[in-house]
Amino acid sequence: MRIGSYQLRLEKRLTLTGWQAAIISTLAIIFALVLFSFIFILADINPLVAYRETFSYAFANPRGLPLTINRFIFLLLCTSAFIIPFRAGLWNIGMTGQLYAGALSAFAVLLAFGGKMLPPPDLSPITLIPLMLIAAALGGAVLGAMAGFLKGKFNVNEIVVTMMLNSITFWLVAYMIKEGGPFMNPGGRGESFELPSSAYAPLIMDIPFTIFLALGLVMLLYYMFAKTKIGYQIKAYGHSPAAARYAGINTFMIPLLVFILGGAVAGLAGYHYFAAVPGVYKIARNYGYFGDLAFYGIICGLISLGNSFAAIPVALLFGGLSIGGRFVQGKLNMGFGVDYALLGVLMITLVAFQFFYRYKLVLSVEGKGQRRRD
Amino acid sequence: MRARLPKEGASACIVNARKRDMEKGLLEGIKHGETVLEARGITKRFPGVVANDHIDFELRAGEIHAVLGENGAGKTTLMNILFGLWQPDEGEIYIGGKRVAFRSPLDAIDLGIGMVHQTRKLVSAHTAIENIILGHPKAGRILNLKRAEEEVKELCERYGFKIDLRAKVWQLSEGEKQAVEILKALYRGARILILDEPTSVLTPPETKKLLASIEAMARDKLAIIPFITHKLPIVLAISDRVTVLRHGKVAACLETGCVTEKSLAEKMVGREVIFRIERTKVEKGKPILQVENLSARNDKGFLALNGVSFSICEGEIFGIAGISGNGQHELAEVLAGLRKAEGGRVIFDGKDITHSSILERWQMGIGYIPCERVEVGSIGDFSLVENTAMNFYFDDHFCRRGIMDYRKIRGLTEEIVSEYGVVAPSPDTKARNLSGGNLQRLILARVLSRKPRLLIANLPTQGLDVGATEFVQNKLVEEKKAKAAILLISEDLEEILSLSDWVAPIYEGEFMDIVPGEKAKRETVGAMMAGLRPTPTEYPIPNTQYLDT
Amino acid sequence: MWEFIARSLEASMIFTFAALGELIDQRSGVLNVGIEGVMLFGATLGFITAKTTGSYLLGFLVGMAIGGLLGFLHGFFSITLGGDQVVSGMGIWILGFGLTTYIGNPYTGPLELERIPTILGLSPFFYAGIALVVVSWFVLSRTSLGLEIRSVGEDPSVAEVSGINVPKTRYLCATIGGMLMGLSGAIYSLFYNPVWNYNFLMGWGFIALALVFFSMWNPVILLGGSLLFGTLWQLSLNPQLVLPGILSRYIWRTVPFVITIGVLLIISTGWFRTRWGAAKPEALARPYVKE
Repeated sequence: MRIGSYQLRLEKRLTLTGWQAAIISTLAIIFALVLFSFIFILADINPLVAYRETFSYAFANPRGLPLTINRFIFLLLCTSAFIIPFRAGLWNIGMTGQLYAGALSAFAVLLAFGGKMLPPPDLSPITLIPLMLIAAALGGAVLGAMAGFLKGKFNVNEIVVTMMLNSITFWLVAYMIKEGGPFMNPGGRGESFELPSSAYAPLIMDIPFTIFLALGLVMLLYYMFAKTKIGYQIKAYGHSPAAARYAGINTFMIPLLVFILGGAVAGLAGYHYFAAVPGVYKIARNYGYFGDLAFYGIICGLISLGNSFAAIPVALLFGGLSIGGRFVQGKLNMGFGVDYALLGVLMITLVAFQFFYRYKLVLSVEGKGQRRRD
Repeated sequence: MRARLPKEGASACIVNARKRDMEKGLLEGIKHGETVLEARGITKRFPGVVANDHIDFELRAGEIHAVLGENGAGKTTLMNILFGLWQPDEGEIYIGGKRVAFRSPLDAIDLGIGMVHQTRKLVSAHTAIENIILGHPKAGRILNLKRAEEEVKELCERYGFKIDLRAKVWQLSEGEKQAVEILKALYRGARILILDEPTSVLTPPETKKLLASIEAMARDKLAIIPFITHKLPIVLAISDRVTVLRHGKVAACLETGCVTEKSLAEKMVGREVIFRIERTKVEKGKPILQVENLSARNDKGFLALNGVSFSICEGEIFGIAGISGNGQHELAEVLAGLRKAEGGRVIFDGKDITHSSILERWQMGIGYIPCERVEVGSIGDFSLVENTAMNFYFDDHFCRRGIMDYRKIRGLTEEIVSEYGVVAPSPDTKARNLSGGNLQRLILARVLSRKPRLLIANLPTQGLDVGATEFVQNKLVEEKKAKAAILLISEDLEEILSLSDWVAPIYEGEFMDIVPGEKAKRETVGAMMAGLRPTPTEYPIPNTQYLDT
Repeated sequence: MWEFIARSLEASMIFTFAALGELIDQRSGVLNVGIEGVMLFGATLGFITAKTTGSYLLGFLVGMAIGGLLGFLHGFFSITLGGDQVVSGMGIWILGFGLTTYIGNPYTGPLELERIPTILGLSPFFYAGIALVVVSWFVLSRTSLGLEIRSVGEDPSVAEVSGINVPKTRYLCATIGGMLMGLSGAIYSLFYNPVWNYNFLMGWGFIALALVFFSMWNPVILLGGSLLFGTLWQLSLNPQLVLPGILSRYIWRTVPFVITIGVLLIISTGWFRTRWGAAKPEALARPYVKE
């Protein structure tokens, strides 16, 4: 493409440094936000005002900030759950179902300890909470294992399987908490019984301890992929299952393993939202909303290119956008689903920008050499 | 509400785009011996090299005019230019006396030039007739396979091709596939045929049939240009004239009646040529690999390997000569653990390893160099260090308690990179940026650094230039001297004959014989590769060299 | 009972349209996992159009148009940009899922238009669907366009040297496929279940994807699969017809999804695998790069 004496060309990239990837991702997000402002404009709202409100509520408001942080924890866990199979070249879009399974398992433990009784019993959090965590991880892991096993042994398409499992688990939760199901709230409101206050997750400065879980996991994952043998095997399989097999890597075990791990992490996300966030402490009636939120994890995982550290700022940003978006939706009288729309726009922009990870724009002036715009 | 049908004119548009009847008459009415194609002063430059340097070439109707040259002599470039894939920097092309310029291969096809590539350009899943009429302007909106079949059958009879047109391409033999491609070009009206290495994957009987068909076509006033690398006897047998290319220039253009193999070879290389490498003598040790009655299926489910038995001693090179598709690939994979054996046993160093895992085999001292360098032997997105790790991640020295010691692996990588001459900017370069030769050096380096006691080398020099080929062959001999047992699979008969202590021609999954290296003769081995059984008096009873009774 | 059969057939036709669209896509080598997103868009925009204009015809046309547009977009990402087709498909899905939740929200509720009349007691789409299956089968196996599409899906480089415009063929298939998917979504929201609710497609797009794999790319087998699934779905909504009183209705809702997984498992076993592998378009999901 020529403009005067300048020429714009597309060239294939030979390498992609971390910085370049970060810049492209940032540009993608900004572009998406610009695109999204059309939604505001269509609703007769000044996008600048809307964004200002969004960000200030999410990050500066004493009521909004804790919400943002809670959502950040949730998203970070979901992203990690997505990233593990992603590095193995597999798609885990079953985080929704896995987190439901995790939540159900955690509440099952609670039920076993008599959590449903009224008046709520005094339970010992030191034994209970770790058990709930383990149960949540196991629940998610079992669900993940199903997809991983089918993939590893029979090469069944994991996208369809995980999506089916999402739907199946969705209805299982409905069964459990509605209409006389075992988890149903004695008040019968179509939600689960409430967490006894003795089982509330401990808070540090009003933030559930799960933040340490999420951040710790990020570091663990980073270390796993960078330094360990299993991380190497996963990466090799992700790039080329045929070559991995040649090198002696067990190509049945890898899909199974990554989905078990991913499922476990997603299960913890389920524990987090339904048992650790102040103000919730039950499997809410609109649990489907949180399930849908898990898809933000996919976008996060893609933008950070599978790097768990890079996921932290992205998850924080998306958490804020989602909370702020909800707030703005209410305050400025917009229709329901603003954060859903944002999710959609972000994703499609990201897909388009994937192109720039492989190609770069080269600007050259006739006779004067080249300047690169990455 | 009517369902939406595919757009009405869509298929017609796609098909009509290439009706250029106006120009088709260029080669009509040409007489035997008249010039049909002439290229003058063809020059093509690439960064750093002049691939074609003012090449003149003339082709007559009814002539078979071979183009001969080594890899890198400029054959491929000239071929692509004549076929319209590339544009020459300088020079003109004339067809039937009229100057033409090709914008794309489609122009060439319209003008009557057909090309048959070295690697098959057919859709395996479709039938032969479907491949032949694909994209043909006469195909019509609704496929009239019957009429096309009749027309193609007529072509088959005229030129002596015997193919079941309704068979799916993947079921056909190499020779039949090639016939389909030739028919495809002929059906499009080609009067000039360019053949790229036409005999390289054919058995001798198939080659005979092809040559007969080519002669029939020549008698029918078609003109044929076979491009050949080194099958000099074919050139002598079939062509009327031969043009020899060397370093991008025409070294000679001679009547075939006036040349010999030796004089041609000298023209190709420019100097005296020695045809064979010396075989090294090494004292051999005990038998380390014993294969008993091994069978295996290929990816399509057919029995590709049908009960082979043999053994290899330490310090021996066992060469398997065969045309690709006769089971040697499956044999290599079974021995490496990548394919399940259908029957039979594999015994390594006294232990039955028929069911051992791939990892166990590496750890036991078996090394495999796969023929698919890029898809299997290496990981393109991994750095050289990470690629090296493929064969060492399970070694205690490099990986302790689940933690990889990348520093040590890096050190090893640097060592082997310099020892094996891998050219790369740094050990962190991604493998996909390496050239074919360098990638093979890396793989070789990595596998040989494990000092395997059994080395399985599957097509180790395929696609490599002369320098890299020599390097690989020398490394194999070095390993042999270090008392490794080597199984060598190669399509280059010269290579097998010069390196191997035992030569086993394989045909349809069976060893035709196992011949001691010194006694192996090119003609007999070649015949066995094609399925002709040896007369029993010639060699000792096969398949029982070292097996315990 | 008749009501049940009629509804099953209606549901089957929706699966058929969507899966056929994907089948055409895949036959030319393009994989679109975002069927759900295209269907959602077709359903939502079609619903809104019909509700605001009162015209069914416009609703269907809009549904098809947006479907074709999305198909084209997916084609752009996959063919021209040569990106990862799964990522692009996921993108279309989430875009659909996200945007339609917001756009459709003000229109939550019933359509409130007179129902489309039935022909001989069956929906008009039933006949259209059967016709479409026959036409697709015919085009793919008996016309030169079909041969070109199949060749592009098996080996684009061979198709190219035979004079076929590979990108054009793929774009054609992606767009037509998208139109069919959008149409199927519109049928859902305008005929089968004319009440808008967010996420009311419930994963049907993914079931359609599984159906394509199951059909081994043969339109006739696809029809059979759709009929089976349509019936299963209806059954899961009305378990009392088969096993009254057993199990909560929520558990019954999971049945179609479980069966889908089961189906995928069956086609991965030995007997199926060789046939499946042979029928699979060789170049599926692989971007074609000219040398």
